[in-house]
Amino acid sequence: MSARPVSTPMLEVRNASKQFGGLRAVDGVSLSVQPGEIVSIIGPNGAGKTTFFNLLTGQLVPTEGEVRYLGESINAVPPHERARRGMGRTFQIAKPLIALNALENVMIGAFLHDAQLGVARDRAYAVLERVGMAHLAARRAGELTLSERRRLEVARALALEPKIVLLDEVMAGLNQAEVGTEIELLRSLHAQGLTFLIIEHNLKVVRAFSERVIVLDRGRLIAEGTAEQILNAPAVIEAYLGAGHAGRGAEVVA
Amino acid sequence: MSSTDTGNGIATGPAATPGRRAFPAAPASEVIASARRAWLTYLGGMALAFLPFVVFVNDAHWLNIIALTYLMGGLAASWNIIGGFGGQFSLGHGVFFAIGAYTTAIFVTRWGVSPWATMIPTAIFAACVAMLISWPTFRLRGPFFAIATLAFNEVAFVLANHAESLTGGPRGLSIPFRAGLANMIFRDRWAYALLMFGFVALVIALSVWLRRSRLGYYLLAVREDEDAARAAGINVLAVKLKGMALSAGLTAIGGTLFTMYLRYIDPPTLFTLPEVGVKFALLALIGGIGTIWGPLLGAALIVPFENWLRSAYADSLPGFSLAVLGLLMVLAALFMKRGIMGLVEDLLKRTRRKP
Repeated sequence: MSARPVSTPMLEVRNASKQFGGLRAVDGVSLSVQPGEIVSIIGPNGAGKTTFFNLLTGQLVPTEGEVRYLGESINAVPPHERARRGMGRTFQIAKPLIALNALENVMIGAFLHDAQLGVARDRAYAVLERVGMAHLAARRAGELTLSERRRLEVARALALEPKIVLLDEVMAGLNQAEVGTEIELLRSLHAQGLTFLIIEHNLKVVRAFSERVIVLDRGRLIAEGTAEQILNAPAVIEAYLGAGHAGRGAEVVA
Repeated sequence: MSSTDTGNGIATGPAATPGRRAFPAAPASEVIASARRAWLTYLGGMALAFLPFVVFVNDAHWLNIIALTYLMGGLAASWNIIGGFGGQFSLGHGVFFAIGAYTTAIFVTRWGVSPWATMIPTAIFAACVAMLISWPTFRLRGPFFAIATLAFNEVAFVLANHAESLTGGPRGLSIPFRAGLANMIFRDRWAYALLMFGFVALVIALSVWLRRSRLGYYLLAVREDEDAARAAGINVLAVKLKGMALSAGLTAIGGTLFTMYLRYIDPPTLFTLPEVGVKFALLALIGGIGTIWGPLLGAALIVPFENWLRSAYADSLPGFSLAVLGLLMVLAALFMKRGIMGLVEDLLKRTRRKP
């Protein structure tokens, strides 16, 4: 790849593998995310994206290799401690705390930095404003729409004041208008200095805002580059469409 | 086609949301009730709960029921801290109740120590035991956790029966009647009722405080979704242990008061599930699990009702009261998941929405 700054990567994966019995769901993947980057991980269904994501969040521990954060191995660091250190995350299937209202949901994250109710409340409210959900503050999370729930998860992660946010298919199931709004939100957060690592199934979405794309297929890293490079890489087209479709990258995105 | 276009816009600026400002946003201070309002509600609720005491202060029969209602309300509210807020459906709180009861009885009968002096150390001891036995159990989720706690209750029952030198075994322990404030033994029932009222007032005050504290919010988060809680930086096990310790400590205080009121305890009194471990959960469930007032409300309905059932059907249909309570529990679980408090909230919402 092109020359990268030699500063300590924010997040680094060194030759990580995850074995489930006879299945090697992630097979020797390495990558690094620099501060301020937006990196996407794509791949067809069953490529090992979610397993890989779980290695990053601490839900799973790699069988081999290591995950490093800010220059330190975090293989043995449990999920909640990763969150405390500044790794925010969302879930593929949104997990709003449905009995609580939207503001309280975000407060759960905001309490990390301040135990006082008033402070956590005001901080959480500011985050809701930042993601354009302040008008829904009093609504029970169980009554929110799918896209609002997803956004609430982003807000809860932001309330941790994270250094990096790991997003697991935040666009899945959203309509085109909602995807557009979401992309705009992520871009504005990125412009404020946040680093993102995104798991995404949809190539269109990735092309719209990602600087660097990594492609997984059957647990292996098969390509890495800019969105345009990736969409034209024969290996990627083969992974998505099967052999014999070289040069039809445009159709994947169309 | 339009969705790809969105990718080529300007990369800066605040996130604009279509349809935002559709109606003005409520300020944060209105979404979460202020401390002032929460404590005023508390005072109002406790005043209401005190009313029966004032009305029946000269009626020994009713004072007994009122004292038991306050006690059971306080115990159900203690259970509610881990069972309701924390979502960990313990059926083993009889163990902590018995720790409070036995420790007090032993210290009072053997060394003549005042129950006032043993109450807090006993509560701390029960909290430590609770953390010790919960540590492995909290790995279990849902019904498996409930079953494990049930097992603790049964083990403790057997132990209490066998440790005769300590607990008196099946013969139990009785505390001689020596009236006096220092001994926590009173000639008049109203004093006991007042004592029990103090207990329930304390537990509910702690619930109000907890519901507005970080620990309280963390307990709710753990109940709602453990993975989401972890993602928010919450140490799930630590939060459960803290909630359990608080809940068990308060339950042990209830055990102390119960012992000093009855002045006689034995294993069946302390470990019979429908009377103790399951009862706490039942009262909270019927009144409104996870709410501040639900447990007391449940006690206010069930304790007098059960008392009447028992006296009315003791001879003709023994065990009838248990059957009725069991049925009530099933009905509550099926049709009133949020208990009576849930019904009240829904009604309030409906009337408010009407123009």
